[in-house]
Amino acid sequence: MQKTHNRNRYALRPCTVIYIILVSFTFITWLIGKSSLTGLGFSLVVLGIALIKGFMIGDYYMGLRGINSIWRWVIILWLFIPGCLITWAFVSAG
Amino acid sequence: MPSSYTIERRDYPPGDLAIWIFILAELLVFAIFFATYAFTRSNHVALFNHSQLSLNTNLALINTLALITSSYFVVRAVAAIREDKTRLCIHWLIAAVMMGFIFLVVKVIEYHHHYHNGINLRTNLFFMFYFSLTFFHFMHVILGMVILSAVAIKARQGHYSSTDFTGVETGACYWHMVDIVWLILFPLIYIMK
Repeated sequence: MQKTHNRNRYALRPCTVIYIILVSFTFITWLIGKSSLTGLGFSLVVLGIALIKGFMIGDYYMGLRGINSIWRWVIILWLFIPGCLITWAFVSAG
Repeated sequence: MPSSYTIERRDYPPGDLAIWIFILAELLVFAIFFATYAFTRSNHVALFNHSQLSLNTNLALINTLALITSSYFVVRAVAAIREDKTRLCIHWLIAAVMMGFIFLVVKVIEYHHHYHNGINLRTNLFFMFYFSLTFFHFMHVILGMVILSAVAIKARQGHYSSTDFTGVETGACYWHMVDIVWLILFPLIYIMK
C-alpha cells in the first residue's frame, strides 16, 4: 500500500504541471483574442496551442501515454485530422 | 489495473472499452462539425469575423478554465480511489461536478445575453453554427455531470477500491473527452478570425 501511495503521489506531479501549462496556454489564447490580433498567422498559432492542449489532456489525463496499441493514437489522430482540415479551410479563406 | 495518470505499458486505454467506442463516435461527430464550420466560414469570412465580435471572450475564458480545472479534479479523484481514499475521491468528483455547473451557468448567461439582443439560430450562418455547436457541447457537459455524479454515488456505496476502480476511470475518460472538445471549440468559435 505504501509503495502504491508513493507511486501515486509521484505520478500526480506531471498532471499538476500539465494543469498549470493548460491554464497558461488558455490565458495566451484569450490574450490573443482580447488584443484583436487577427489574420491567418495568429489563427494558426491559436489552433496549434489548442491542439497541444488536447494532446496533453489525452496523453496525461486520459492516460493514453502508456498504451501500446492503436488506442494510443485515437486522440492524436482526432486532433490531427480536424486540425489539418481547419488549417486548410482557413488558408483557403486567406 | 490501468490508470489515467501513471505511465504503465498496456494494450487497452483506461476505463471500460465500451466508453471508448462511445467517445470515438462523439469525437467523429464533433470533428465533422468543426470541419463544416471552418469550410463554411471560408465562403463567408467577413460575416463570421463580424459576428464573432459580439461574443464574450471573457465568459469563454471562465468556461475554459472551469473545464480544465474540473478535468484536473477528476484526475485527482482517480488518484484518490487508487489509494483507497474513497471519501477524498468523492470530494474531488463533487468539485469536478461543481466546475461543470459553473460552466453551465456561464453558458446560460451567455445565451440569455444573445437572446436579449435578438440573436438566435436564424440570425445568420455564424450564429447557427455557434448555437448548434455550443448547445450540443452543453448537452455533453450535462451528461458528463450525470456520469460523474453516478460514479460519486457508487463510490459512496463502496463499489470502488484500489483494486477495482474501472468505473471511476470510465467516467473520467468521458469527462476528459468533453474537455478536449471544448479546448478546440473555444479558439475556433471565439478567437480565430
